[in-house]
Amino acid sequence: MLAQLDTIQTEALAAIAGITDEAALEEVRIAFLGKKGSLTAAAAGMRDVPAEQKKDVGQKLNEVREAITSALEATAAGLIAKKDAAAFANLDPTLPARPLPKGGLHPLSLVLDEAVKVLRRMGFALAEGPEIETEWHCFDALNTPADHPARNESDTFYFENGKLLRTHTSSVQIRTMEKETTPVRIIAPGSAFRRDEIDATHLSAFHQLEGLYVDRRVTLADLKGTLEYFFREIFGSKTEVRFRPHFFPFTEPSFEVDLKLQAAGRAAKWIEIAGCGMVDPAVFAEVGRKRGDAAYDPEKVTGFAFGMGLDRLAMILYGIPDLRLLIENDVRFLTQFR
Amino acid sequence: MNVSLQWLGDHVDFSEYSISRLDELLTFAGIEVEGVKSLPDHLVVAQILSSGKHPDAEKLSVCQVDDGSGTPRQIVCGAKNYQVGDKVPLALPGCVLDAGDGKTFEIKEGKLRGVDSLGMMCSAKEIGLAADADGLLILPPDLKAGTPLSEIHPAVFELEITPNRPDCLSHLGVARELAALAKKPLKGRAHYGETQTPLRPAKAEEVRLESATCPCYTARILRGVKVGESPAWLRQRLESIGLRPINNVVDVTNYALMETGQPLHAFDLAKLDGGIVVRNARAGETFLALDGKEYALETDDLVIAEANKAVAIGGVMGGEDSGVTETTTDVLLEAAYFAPSAIRRTARRLGLHSDSSYRFERGVDPLQVAGVSEFATKLILDLAGGEADPELLVAGSPGEGPPPVALDNDYCRAVIGADLSDATIEGILVSLGLEKADGAWKIPSYRLDLQRPIDLVEEVARVHGLDGVPSATTAWFSPASKADESYDFLRSLQDRLASLGFFETRNLKLISDAQLADDFATNHRGMNPVRLKNPLNDEQDHLRPGLVPGLLASASRNVRFGNGDLRLFEAGRVFVATPKGEEIEHEHLALLMTGARVRRNWTDPKPKALDLHDLRAVLEAICPEGLNFVPVADAKLLCACSVEIGLGKKAVKLGLAGIVPPARARDLDLDAPVLVAELNLKKLQSATTGDIAHADLPKFPGSSRDVAMLVPGDLPAGEVAAFFEGYEEPLLISAELFDVFTDPTGAKLAPDKKSLAYSLLYRAPERTLGASEVEAAHAKLLDSLKRALNVEFR
Repeated sequence: MLAQLDTIQTEALAAIAGITDEAALEEVRIAFLGKKGSLTAAAAGMRDVPAEQKKDVGQKLNEVREAITSALEATAAGLIAKKDAAAFANLDPTLPARPLPKGGLHPLSLVLDEAVKVLRRMGFALAEGPEIETEWHCFDALNTPADHPARNESDTFYFENGKLLRTHTSSVQIRTMEKETTPVRIIAPGSAFRRDEIDATHLSAFHQLEGLYVDRRVTLADLKGTLEYFFREIFGSKTEVRFRPHFFPFTEPSFEVDLKLQAAGRAAKWIEIAGCGMVDPAVFAEVGRKRGDAAYDPEKVTGFAFGMGLDRLAMILYGIPDLRLLIENDVRFLTQFR
Repeated sequence: MNVSLQWLGDHVDFSEYSISRLDELLTFAGIEVEGVKSLPDHLVVAQILSSGKHPDAEKLSVCQVDDGSGTPRQIVCGAKNYQVGDKVPLALPGCVLDAGDGKTFEIKEGKLRGVDSLGMMCSAKEIGLAADADGLLILPPDLKAGTPLSEIHPAVFELEITPNRPDCLSHLGVARELAALAKKPLKGRAHYGETQTPLRPAKAEEVRLESATCPCYTARILRGVKVGESPAWLRQRLESIGLRPINNVVDVTNYALMETGQPLHAFDLAKLDGGIVVRNARAGETFLALDGKEYALETDDLVIAEANKAVAIGGVMGGEDSGVTETTTDVLLEAAYFAPSAIRRTARRLGLHSDSSYRFERGVDPLQVAGVSEFATKLILDLAGGEADPELLVAGSPGEGPPPVALDNDYCRAVIGADLSDATIEGILVSLGLEKADGAWKIPSYRLDLQRPIDLVEEVARVHGLDGVPSATTAWFSPASKADESYDFLRSLQDRLASLGFFETRNLKLISDAQLADDFATNHRGMNPVRLKNPLNDEQDHLRPGLVPGLLASASRNVRFGNGDLRLFEAGRVFVATPKGEEIEHEHLALLMTGARVRRNWTDPKPKALDLHDLRAVLEAICPEGLNFVPVADAKLLCACSVEIGLGKKAVKLGLAGIVPPARARDLDLDAPVLVAELNLKKLQSATTGDIAHADLPKFPGSSRDVAMLVPGDLPAGEVAAFFEGYEEPLLISAELFDVFTDPTGAKLAPDKKSLAYSLLYRAPERTLGASEVEAAHAKLLDSLKRALNVEFR
């Protein structure tokens, strides 16, 4: 009996050594360990083994079963490892990736978001207003004389009912002060329209970012600090900022803001980037007249306002040479801003 | 306005100032320097002494020139337009010339084809005096060799004066401003306010004022003048700032204008019939101006008239046949003050803008009228001889000048936010010509812009500059506004769409009449597009009522540029008018997809074209759960679906999705199906930003059953889905369509049928379902389904 078991083990291990696939593995398992397998049959012979040998034979039987089983398992593991390796053997990682469609935001959205992030950090909340405006909101309330050239039909789009397309986002200053009380600290990005033929530096519809801060004791120093911080966050902490006296009907004093910027391969030069100033008391007076209260008493509140062209900001930040690229939506252009 | 540096030098000594320092001084006065025309150093007058052939180059000649140094200088030259003895500009080594495009080049000693050349003789173009030039600039023979050319052509600044500062529209005005900022004295007077000439009220037959537009008119009669060419200094002054000399009398009026800012007009007295009448134009009156054009006047235009007819449009332009010419001997010199708004209206309506109207419409100094008349009279007599009547005729009155303005220095400090001393504040105002008297500031008559305390604060801030003001930043918090919420919502949408392969576009908000046909957003609401009254052109005469017209135009452009696989979106404002004509603005979001589902690549060499289901997948990805597509009829879209959240009466209609009619798409060069959707952004936002609440995860496993059914080919799958949606069986959790099969050949399936296969999930929240329970529920469901939709199971 012991010799028979030795033979079975020898035969089985020889058969296992010759296995090359999973089907053969199963055949061998059945031949030795299956219901009719030779080891199973041998085990059935245990009942004929004399009692005094039962222990030895039983022990041997277990040893042989263990040896065959572990050889089968080792071979099975080897076969699986081989199969796994084969599954990826022909994979060429240098092939181009399977493409997914790529998208991205418009450069104006990116510039706007940069600006909004910084200004929100500084405590400004967003505000908005209609683009189809009344002449009062766009001009009268902003201290613009009745015969100011900006009101001309040659410069401004009008509708038959006398309304117009706002020529600047400054009208949102008025819209905000009409409904909010001080303190007011808002930024208003949006479209503005001027009756300009479209070319490399003009669009009939363009984008502005307006800012307004009204409270007691708002000063020119606050305006200066705010815009210096803002532009240095956008263009770098070393950026030189200068305030050049200028004129706008709705601010007094008024300034234009220049940044000293350097385009690649060129000498740094002053670039006009924004207009700003202290809100003209006449604007507060007109808002107060409309509101019918003293929330914006020009004797008590002061404020600053600023406005800048987002299209121009994008041109400067990204080196875009022609404004028309911003409205053509050529995917080859848009892909550059991902 | 062009301002000559040499001319400014009459008033203030700026000799130690460089051009760039003056540029900065002007800039910080609030006067924008648009350009500076100045000749470089090391550019001198040279006389050509001899010219010989170049030994090795046929087109070149070798010249010896006198550069004023006493030693002849050798220059190789390619030009042919000179003669020996001519005087020409010579750029000496070290001279930096403009090479165009913002670049410069420096002249160096060198060799040209082996021959020494120690400088360069220049054309007018090379030294920036002309846009184009052929050959060397031949200079007047009376110039001395060696004279720097910058002395002959002094620097000229092109200035942009803001509309609030008409006082700077003259050389004296600019000089006054610069003197204050540079803290330099004026050489002469600051203002032509004082006169020696006796003033005499004009008799009605001499000058009659009939219009409020002209509060003050003066006339000075000069007799026996000899009209002729102005002397060189005067011609050169006018030419340097771009004016054409005409004759000594007219040149003096122009000179006085540019010197003082007060426009003048000289009439030929012989051509005036009777006295001057200043009146409004008569209805139907026309006027032949000295530009040779005839203008139709209206009754609010001001004219200067003689007995029979108008001889000038007041403050704008004189007449063709009343001006001073070679035959004139007696002159009436007009100096007047006209009200700005009337002049502006007339100049604008007639499209007739002159140096005079430019100043009158911004505001001239009324108190200077008589003084400038006197100044010009004197100069005319000097240059043209003759005699002036002893008195200046004056009609009306120039008024008192501006009222004083009180300034509280604390208010000034509070607005500026800097601790400026009283001495600093008052010193600035005094430097600008203001005088403190009786606790208020007396305003110079030329400063029409200084009317309120804030106007004085501006002066202090401007002159003091912001460099001397601290940079204050006060951190602050603001509650989020509605606009903040919308912005943040849009930002998250933009990012999601970009991740889904979409590029954000921004299209013009003004579209053409033809493009309106592409819009499908308006017509469902009975709204009308909004039309401009004064469009710039036909391409931009409407405000967009929806975003799809712009997206289609962008898609079409991209296809022409070779990009046919497109996923584009735009978010932005659209405009409609109610039937009553009230404009409404909405924020919309629109998507456009066309072309292949993926770019052709090695894993998918023949990618499928995008179809409506791709668009719907994107919409489901960006919209909250519970999105439904409800087929609707739409004239502008194929397979139009209303995009809705929720069911039945509670459904919120977000917008429309569908396919652009292929015929229209082909017009735009879009051959693949073009899928579009347009949603109302605010509605999407409010549907999206509901409260989010957690629900417990199922604790027990569910059991699924598949069912395949044959249905009529034209039965929308949505009806089957609606059956499952409405089927009342608490154990049924979900029904998912996983196969749609049709066979047009009829081999496997009747051609008018289709097979839909669903996977149904059954689950109970509190226990594991037994097989028999699932079977019973499933059998009941199949039975209901069969009766409801008359399906056959496969």
